Amino acid sequence: MAELLTKDLSVKAGATTLVNGANLRLVPGELVALLGPNGAGKTSLLKAALGLEKRSAGFARLDGSDSAKLSPIERARRVAYLPQQRPLAWPNTVRDVVALGRYAYGAAPGHLSPEDAAAVDQAIKRCDLTELTDRQTDTLSGGELARVHCARAFAADAPLLVADEPVAALDPRHQFRIMDIVREYVDGGCGALVVLHDISLAARYATRIVWMKDSRIVADGAPEDTLTPERLADIYGVRATVSGRAVEIRGTF
Amino acid sequence: MTGRLLIPGLIAASACAIFTACLLGSTLMPADRVLSAFFGGADAGDRLVIWQIRLPRALAAYLTGAALGISGAALQGLLRNPLAEPGVLGVSASASLFATFSLYYGLTALSPWALPVSAILGALAATALIALAAIRTRSVVTLILIGVGLSSFAGAAMSLLMNLAPNPFSLSDMINWMLGSVANRSFEDLAFAFPFLLAGGGILLASRRGLSALTLGEEAASGIGLNLRNQRILTVLGAGLATGGSVALAGAIGFVGIVAPHVIRPFVKHDPARSLVPSALLAGLFLVVADIGVRILPTPFELKLGVVAALFGAPAFVWIAMRRRALNG
Repeated sequence: MAELLTKDLSVKAGATTLVNGANLRLVPGELVALLGPNGAGKTSLLKAALGLEKRSAGFARLDGSDSAKLSPIERARRVAYLPQQRPLAWPNTVRDVVALGRYAYGAAPGHLSPEDAAAVDQAIKRCDLTELTDRQTDTLSGGELARVHCARAFAADAPLLVADEPVAALDPRHQFRIMDIVREYVDGGCGALVVLHDISLAARYATRIVWMKDSRIVADGAPEDTLTPERLADIYGVRATVSGRAVEIRGTF
Repeated sequence: MTGRLLIPGLIAASACAIFTACLLGSTLMPADRVLSAFFGGADAGDRLVIWQIRLPRALAAYLTGAALGISGAALQGLLRNPLAEPGVLGVSASASLFATFSLYYGLTALSPWALPVSAILGALAATALIALAAIRTRSVVTLILIGVGLSSFAGAAMSLLMNLAPNPFSLSDMINWMLGSVANRSFEDLAFAFPFLLAGGGILLASRRGLSALTLGEEAASGIGLNLRNQRILTVLGAGLATGGSVALAGAIGFVGIVAPHVIRPFVKHDPARSLVPSALLAGLFLVVADIGVRILPTPFELKLGVVAALFGAPAFVWIAMRRRALNG
């Protein structure tokens, strides 16, 4: 079964510890939100878990094999990764960008096997891009671009998705749209680990929230159990009221 | 889509241009005499002019252009910037520095391979330096400045060679390497550069799929399955071999590798992988036409091919740079 697992994973940059002994698990059927203030080490944790960044201690496994030893193609077939920085160097068409998601299967834009083409079409449909397929990406709005990147990730048909701030800089409507798309993907039998900064959004969509602060995971559990005013005070330094999955932030301390 | 006719069209235009290059010269040779000279007919004089002078020269211009065009398109894909090119990045200048070095120190007398090999070593050294710098910095402006530095250094070192070398050649010889020319090339010269051009072009074509992946940026490209380290090595090696081979053949000719991919890109939906072959064809075509211009312009001394290429290419470079929105450096 698809599984992303880290045990006592640590990452260092020079003398600075970016991630300290992180234990994390992601399996299909879960939408895990990774929350924490800027600089808490969320991105480093994701990269080290995927084997894209060097770890200093602990281990990270994808489906039982060491993620750092996987070839890029093997990794890409097991987990789709949406990084925080998503530059597009050329004004390609939407369909060509989504088609890059099939790279690990030997596809290239303009050279898609029938399976590749089917996966690309499905991802385009899932992300509601059907009317934009032939548009160049430099003519799209931020919300449309975010959907293109999601579709690119989904086109890989990987059982797991790791997305670093997929809704950053989007308006509320588009944030909900992207999260609905991720939710659908999880309901279809896949697993997603998503870095978010919007606590309400995380509480609304996540099956589990992993809380990070100062390079450590400080809590990991269902929103109902881990989302408390004390937690928000501890992690973000904000005063908040919580009722069930609803959060209202009232100010800072 | 215009894309499907692009490559056949370019091949046909290239064949026409090379044929025209055989017609034109100090004396015009009618098409029927050129054709019969091609197939071993005509008189010995015609055959000599075609097979010893005009055809090798036209092919040298074509291969040089094709090598620069494919290297430019590949480097632009690797560095994700339309301003990257062997000339701008100082690769051609470094190659011609190494080539002059082997000439001035008599290495070329030891083996006919010395010249192409040293040009290629120069090209590889510069390409590797640029690729190393590209790992550290995201800004292509920095890379271009490094290229400016490399070019200036190569120019200065060539002047130094002029003063220090045990058997200095003439000034015009050095100028040939700095400005680029395909005058007086023989099939033998072509044969010594051809294996390197073929190997470089082959490596670039074999690794072109990764260039499309790099459209997404390096991080996402590794995420979708690209082996970034191998891609860098292959592109650097391929561009180094092709550019070095072209410099061994014609000296440093700039800006061709920038203009051709820029023209081609809209026809291939801006996909770096698909721009490689048409860019090579168009750049080859461009240099053959430019060389025809060099030969038939009534100037007292023949213009250098590199000068003509730069006269068209440099303004295009400035235009592309000015039009470019500051998206990612």
